[in-house]
Amino acid sequence: PERSARVAKVRPPLHQYIRKLLFSDLDKSTIEYVLRQLRKLPWNECEPYLLKCFMKVYKGKYGQIHLIASLAAGLSRYHDEFAVAIVDEVLEEIRVGLELNDYGMQQRRIAYMRFLGELYNYEHVDSSVIFETLYLILIFGHGTSEQDVLDPPEDCFRIRLIITLLETCGHYFDRGSSKRKLDRFLIHFQRYILSKGALPLDIEFDLQDLFADLRPNMVRYTSIEEVNAALVELEEHDRIVSADKASSEKHSDTE
Amino acid sequence: MKGALDRTKVVLRHLPPSISEAALLAQIDASFAGRYSWFSFRPGKISHKHISYSRAYIDFKNPEDVLVFADLFNGHVFVNEKGSQFKVIVEYAPSQRVPRQWFKKDGR
Repeated sequence: PERSARVAKVRPPLHQYIRKLLFSDLDKSTIEYVLRQLRKLPWNECEPYLLKCFMKVYKGKYGQIHLIASLAAGLSRYHDEFAVAIVDEVLEEIRVGLELNDYGMQQRRIAYMRFLGELYNYEHVDSSVIFETLYLILIFGHGTSEQDVLDPPEDCFRIRLIITLLETCGHYFDRGSSKRKLDRFLIHFQRYILSKGALPLDIEFDLQDLFADLRPNMVRYTSIEEVNAALVELEEHDRIVSADKASSEKHSDTE
Repeated sequence: MKGALDRTKVVLRHLPPSISEAALLAQIDASFAGRYSWFSFRPGKISHKHISYSRAYIDFKNPEDVLVFADLFNGHVFVNEKGSQFKVIVEYAPSQRVPRQWFKKDGR
């Protein structure tokens, strides 16, 4: 058949150079060098293209994502606008993924979860952003007419997303308030898991690994009733704690 | 945990892909000129595969203005030149970070 040859995209040299730095030069040993080279670029001109390339994390190797996160954190000192934009973009991509629930985007969505987790590891986002994202994944679209499209009963992909994020940065939530936040989230997560019924084995094994890793002593509930009871207990406990707090504050006021 | 009134950064989502930064700013500034300290526009894109909406981030000076702004813009329908309608979503931005106004110029 008559068909014109595919025309290769011609990129300006500066773009080619950015791509070479990020997609072929970058590794553990060259990251300092790549960061320095990126800093030398004419930023006014390159910033939109850099943002675009940083958001292509899903095209590279999964094991390289932390390097891109490290670069983003490293650049925040000089290009805070860019570093802020990266976080906003990743969170937007995660949200769009939930809105579309497109099978073809799954690999990309996993990569973005990993990226977000690594941005936390490089202290570029707060734990509150991580927890908000985790809860968003549990509840997005639930209770709406679109629930069956966005999160059909047999679809376990959201469990995968959560496993990926917690595998990446969950081990840092091991003390203080973030520890309590993770404990609480994991109970909500268990409720979500139980709502899915029988899980595919690969997901079940990954969950077992995740719990063994993060909370080896945590009870895995076996029925919705059990987990609901645990959530009621949690709420009750919170109520008492906050009441105690309020009364002790009152006390210290009068003293 | 930040309360509702500590958050000042909002995101406008589902804006028409072809809206220009200037056109959007004109609409916002009609009521909110001078009431925000940072604005960032992310243009959308129309390709034959799928469309991505435009987005904008705004950091208000006063947390209460967020509510006024959301009242006015959330659910607002933009119509593009072809007559397609886009219903805008206004939300608190999931990351409340805003670029520092002052930072080191990179000596490189």
